[in-house]
Amino acid sequence: MKATQRPGRKAALPEGGPLQKAGSAEQADERALVEAAQTDPAKFGALYEMHFERVYAFIASRVRDRATAEDVTSDVFHKALANLTRFEWRGVSFAAWLLRIAANAVVDQAKRVAREFPSPEDPAELVADPGLRPSELRAIENHARLFRLVGQLPEAQRQVVHQRFVDQRSIREIAGRLGKTEGAIKQLQLRALERLRAQMESGHV
Amino acid sequence: MSKRPLSEQVDEAVQAMLVSLRPRPERDPSPSLAVLVPIAQVLRDLPRESFRIALKSDLQRRTSMNEAVAPSPERSLHYMRPGFTSITPYILVAGGTRFVEFLKAAFNGVERLRVPAPDGTIMHAEVAVGNGMIELGDANDQYPATPVTLHHYVDDADATYTRALQAGATSIYPPTDDHPSGDRWGAIQDQFGNRWYIATPKGWTPGPKGLRSIQPYLHLRDAHKMIPFLESAFSAEALGVHKSPEGHVLHATIRIGNATLEIDEAHGEFQPMPCYLHIYVPDTDALYAQALRAGATSVEAPTNKPYGDRAAGVKDPFGNSWFIATYLGK
Repeated sequence: MKATQRPGRKAALPEGGPLQKAGSAEQADERALVEAAQTDPAKFGALYEMHFERVYAFIASRVRDRATAEDVTSDVFHKALANLTRFEWRGVSFAAWLLRIAANAVVDQAKRVAREFPSPEDPAELVADPGLRPSELRAIENHARLFRLVGQLPEAQRQVVHQRFVDQRSIREIAGRLGKTEGAIKQLQLRALERLRAQMESGHV
Repeated sequence: MSKRPLSEQVDEAVQAMLVSLRPRPERDPSPSLAVLVPIAQVLRDLPRESFRIALKSDLQRRTSMNEAVAPSPERSLHYMRPGFTSITPYILVAGGTRFVEFLKAAFNGVERLRVPAPDGTIMHAEVAVGNGMIELGDANDQYPATPVTLHHYVDDADATYTRALQAGATSIYPPTDDHPSGDRWGAIQDQFGNRWYIATPKGWTPGPKGLRSIQPYLHLRDAHKMIPFLESAFSAEALGVHKSPEGHVLHATIRIGNATLEIDEAHGEFQPMPCYLHIYVPDTDALYAQALRAGATSVEAPTNKPYGDRAAGVKDPFGNSWFIATYLGK
């Protein structure tokens, strides 16, 4: 995983933007799901399915490594579940609410690291709150969409993408595991990337 | 000099990215390369599938234990473990881990729980398929494999059938519109001996809650005798019974609680496969006693289990074993 951007965003999200369009069919569905889960927490799973990639994309782009991304993501969903009944519809979508929790969790995590490993950098900067710009929100949505599209790849391509990018295995190792030639694995990798790019460009969800 | 294949160029860029190096500039870069690199860069953040599943399972477990979450006054079926319906097949299988992978690949199964045995085999696992659940454990000498026949309802029988074959199943027959049920209907056998009817319903659904994605399908000898047994033992209701002129059950759907199973008279290659079924009921003790009165034999009297169920076991006259359970929850 790459070196991180320095975390420095907290709470407030801008008005408007792709996560806060009111009145869309998706938001109506989401509202029904939220209300169902507020009544019966066992239904939280549907909200998790809907927002996992978004939350993970937000966090992964702001922390140092995969293990931290997973810890913080886990923390965010547990907090969201515990506070679900406190969420109210006041012009902020559920997605924006989750990202607010995520933003705070990222800052908390960075503060913990700063305490454990002090550096010349002033930790006070970590709470500076510029909010998320619409371009940042768009980037999160795009990353989340790409993650979802990976799940829809043909099985062989999906396996190669996961083994290459998530497990960070070499082409040779993947070839051995999948019983194919290295050339075939490179082709599958190429086809997967081409397909993902085409679907991202076509707005395929 | 001919240009290197795009797949080589892309892989070099990916490799460099994964080890955080600047890729060697292509002498004659393909324009196609430049547009793929940003995709690859984002994929470095792709979440682990196993993490996604484990976190969901963790959250579900937490909701099922009602820790730090709001009470749920409207949950009427309090006696079922969350995520379960009234009827769940319990499959003992040789190669549990591979079977879980098969369920994921063929049917988009989501692993909810895995309890490993010390030797690495699966003591108990739960895989959600559609709106249903499959429980499984690795077979052993004491408890040999018990393959089952299941009816799997899906939106697109052809696509699911194809995926199942790709995942290693063999075809019994491809989906057809000519099945007597009127549904689009195909059949496969998986590598573990289980048989699956894969169907897309056309206009017919049993019960007010619609179809369950997973319904056990029991081929029985003297199937007509099963109906009164299930009615008296488990307070079941026969929703539709079609019989031949000779009185053989051609097909019957049986409801227990909020779920259904199907039965018919064993025929041709579709012979009885005695199996394990797990049913959630409001009162295990009462239903256990009721089942014994109806002719079932006891396997285990009701006890409180460490995993939070009160459970008992009986065997029906057809050789199937039933785990009767009440979720104690809370």
